[in-house]
Amino acid sequence: MTQSVSRRALLAVPALVLALAGTGAVVEAAEPIRIGAILSTTGPGAGAGIPQRNGLQLAVKLVNEKGGINGRQVQLIMEDDGSSPDVAVTKANNLIFSQKVQAIIGPTLTASTLAVGGVADPGKIPVMAFTGLGVAMEKTRRCVFHMLPSQDLNARALLEVATKGLGAKKLGVLHDSAYGNIVMTKIREVSPDYPVEIVAVEKWEVGATDATTQAAKVKAASPDAVAVIGNSATPFRNARQIRMTMPLLSGIGTATYEYVKAMGDAADNIVFAEFLVAEDPLPGQSAFVEAFHKEYGVLPKTMEASAWDAFNAVAAGLAKVGPEAQPGALCEAIRGPFDGAMARFDFSQEDLTGLTLKSYVFSKLDKGKFVRLPFKAGS
Amino acid sequence: MLPNKTSLAPPGIAGELPAQRLRTTRPSAAALSVLALAAGLYLILPLVLERHAVDLLVFCGLYAIAGAGVGFLLGQGGIVNLGQAAFYGIGGYASAYCSARLGWPTPAGIAIGIALSLAIAALIGRPILRLSGYFLALATLALGIICTNIYFEADFITGGTLGVPGVPKLAIGGFVFDTPEKFYYLVWPIAFATILAMHNLMGSRVGLALQAMRDAPDAAMVMAIDNARLKLWIFMLSSGLGALSGSLFAHYVGFVNVDSFGVDKSIMFLLVPVIGGASVPAGAIIGALFIGLVPELLSALGDIHRVLFGLALVASVVFFPDGLWGLGRSLTGLVRRRSGAAARGETTP
Amino acid sequence: MLFTQALLAGVTNGFVYALVGLGIAVIFKGSHVINAMQGELAVVGAATAVFAAAIWGLPLWLAVVAGALTGMAIAILVELGPIRALFARRAREESFLLLTVGLGFTFSAGVLYLFGREEHLLPALGDEVYEIFGAIIREHALWVIAISAVLILALRLFYRHTHLGLSMMAASIDPDGAATTGINVRAMRTATFALGGLLAALAGLLVAPLIGVGYQMGPLLTLKGFAAAILGGLSNPLGALVGGLVIGILEAMSIVFVSSGMKDAVALTLLIVIMIFVPDGILGRAGRKGG
Repeated sequence: MTQSVSRRALLAVPALVLALAGTGAVVEAAEPIRIGAILSTTGPGAGAGIPQRNGLQLAVKLVNEKGGINGRQVQLIMEDDGSSPDVAVTKANNLIFSQKVQAIIGPTLTASTLAVGGVADPGKIPVMAFTGLGVAMEKTRRCVFHMLPSQDLNARALLEVATKGLGAKKLGVLHDSAYGNIVMTKIREVSPDYPVEIVAVEKWEVGATDATTQAAKVKAASPDAVAVIGNSATPFRNARQIRMTMPLLSGIGTATYEYVKAMGDAADNIVFAEFLVAEDPLPGQSAFVEAFHKEYGVLPKTMEASAWDAFNAVAAGLAKVGPEAQPGALCEAIRGPFDGAMARFDFSQEDLTGLTLKSYVFSKLDKGKFVRLPFKAGS
Repeated sequence: MLPNKTSLAPPGIAGELPAQRLRTTRPSAAALSVLALAAGLYLILPLVLERHAVDLLVFCGLYAIAGAGVGFLLGQGGIVNLGQAAFYGIGGYASAYCSARLGWPTPAGIAIGIALSLAIAALIGRPILRLSGYFLALATLALGIICTNIYFEADFITGGTLGVPGVPKLAIGGFVFDTPEKFYYLVWPIAFATILAMHNLMGSRVGLALQAMRDAPDAAMVMAIDNARLKLWIFMLSSGLGALSGSLFAHYVGFVNVDSFGVDKSIMFLLVPVIGGASVPAGAIIGALFIGLVPELLSALGDIHRVLFGLALVASVVFFPDGLWGLGRSLTGLVRRRSGAAARGETTP
Repeated sequence: MLFTQALLAGVTNGFVYALVGLGIAVIFKGSHVINAMQGELAVVGAATAVFAAAIWGLPLWLAVVAGALTGMAIAILVELGPIRALFARRAREESFLLLTVGLGFTFSAGVLYLFGREEHLLPALGDEVYEIFGAIIREHALWVIAISAVLILALRLFYRHTHLGLSMMAASIDPDGAATTGINVRAMRTATFALGGLLAALAGLLVAPLIGVGYQMGPLLTLKGFAAAILGGLSNPLGALVGGLVIGILEAMSIVFVSSGMKDAVALTLLIVIMIFVPDGILGRAGRKGG
């Protein structure tokens, strides 16, 4: 989804070869600052990618309305990777070498982040990824920053609320074969730090239409609480259908209004480790929630807030070093604390995000409505 | 920068390209000049195109290699292979694992990937190729899904969803293919050589036997052609090309994970010959260019581009049974007949 | 309890696969075409009903009828257009397969474009929950089982005792012979596709309250349905049911006894093995008598 200028260029140039050559050949008189975005607005990642797009577009709009960065307007060049890491690399090549962007917002998915980092990091173009730290190798990358917690931290947040918040002694886990699998690996690693026994772990395939049997297997181990990790509403419905009445736990990915709708009657007594309950925002979050509601008429969740923060962190860095800075200067400017709507970041930390257990907001679905819990982790 | 179509490379450069020997039978002057033009265009493109465009063309080259294997199965064996991504994955993972985890030289990973693919194809091909038609197509599809399943599960090798990052750039004898331009000049000659080899194979005894097997299997059997062995050979050929393409992909992108080896990739590899034309190996080149470039151009239109792409596919199956290659050939045939008739002073009835 | 629950889940899924496989078998029986877009037709039928109810405000029963007729209409159009063109050209099997794969891709993209990426849920026929030996089954799942059973029985009677059903079969088995007795072979093939499309849409409508249908679901439904049909011998409605149940239960049991990550691998390996060694399906030739 190439937007604005490059979109017009693509449509206007008829011949194939001409179109291929012409994507970057448009120069505007005002010389806006070019910022690229690679989001998964189609494919399996779109559940996160579309909210991110909304948050990002609003952030860009408001910065431009206030006169831009150091008096220059921002031009956002939006690309869709179709949830595929191969495509993400191609798009990153385009943004960095043809469109000459100053920074890349995104990608949406962990695999794409690893892939894009391999292109952007050597070119010293900052990448604000909507993923947590994936593999240890990423710590060596100087220009890739993460807007979401590492899976290690996500695992700990779940265990914190399960043990201290719900008092669970026996925990069951239902997870998917992709994202959930990564979190599960971390849960196994960190669970010895918590007074809890993992009594059952079952997996469903990405795209599965039914996980009843897996849920039944977890239920048979009679856990006190069950973590359901993965991007699908199906297992939540299945769990409730077979009368699993214990509290369910989940993460940022499923804490959206879209999933709540897809869960139907099952959207009750589910606890989320997330960052934004727009019905009852924290003091630092209300300005964003109001702006978002005014623009779109609906309430935002964590994904929208993280995209808003990603752009504003880049904007703050650009305001500091100026748009004509040396390669790498912008990375160094971003590498520091940033007070966002989602949470307070510190991109100079080892995990390239600086989120801690204290950053989490815990919420509970009560008959389809998000309610912020008083529980705080990491104390 | 725009490519200047009038200032193409001199014929001397074009003459070095293997594609020129494709039609040794009746090389008309027109065909030769078209080939020379195409070869010149090929050589000069990276110099005038942006990096992004070269990048896309590299992917087209990768699709052409893997797609040519599927196309040979389809065109010469009448076999619909919906599982090529499994072998593409074997190549990709073998290269990633050997070079990124074990630190072996890059050609070793490629060789291991191809060898592994051939072995697995030989092992699985024997029972599966007893099937035919729809059933064989379904079996290859099932094979692809089973392999994706295994790639998810065997995360000690494949890294599961996270994949294997940091795959080094391809290096052969100290020369590192570290830019799209360098890779472009590597991957396309491999594709051209593959097509040329297939073309020669078709003209050989093996090719004739294949033709007999496809069009009259019973008669072929009477002529003592070992259908089963022939099918197995071309299945292994296709699998080896899939692995080669996957290895090159891993080194080019520097990262592999399960998302690149799913059923959608298998379908894409099948579309390469379907759209390009399966009756001649060169159809894979046209198909790969179509698959690699058209969605990128259409994607400016938003979500509707998938619908348009699907319709293009349906149209090509219905109206151009021999793909774009067949379309081009019937068009040139038409023009030639018309002009021939006009030259002889005849009128079309 | 776990075993019973797995068995119930397997049986429910088995009926879903059977319904999809039924349509594939019907179309294959009447035209010798494998319809690789059967799953997408199911998704289109269900999504149409959801949106007819939500956007145009149709009452639920009318929305469901609209969904069923949409599936049927699309199948008829596909037969009248591209399928006829391929038959006229005497295209080989792979062309039909590629055509329906392409159409399936297009429909899936169309559902994404028109209806979005959400999972669409229809209201269930009943919201009760029953307990059987400690395991739970939803009332709607029982309805799916009952309605599928009725559909299969009705199809059997249709093919054996009605003029139209017998003509459809005759036109497929011996087109030239059928033509000499005055049967319009091409019209029979259209009827076959109409029936197959209707069955696909009904499958989608029936399962939408249980699993929620999304645009990307088609290929997996087609594959499982195809597996069910092949397992049962492809040309027998009862076969699709047996095949669907075998796959559904096998999947559930491989979750319980092997590993949830390998359930598709287990089911599909079995499919390949059966195709190779038992090409007539597990009911064998005897089971084919119905058609």
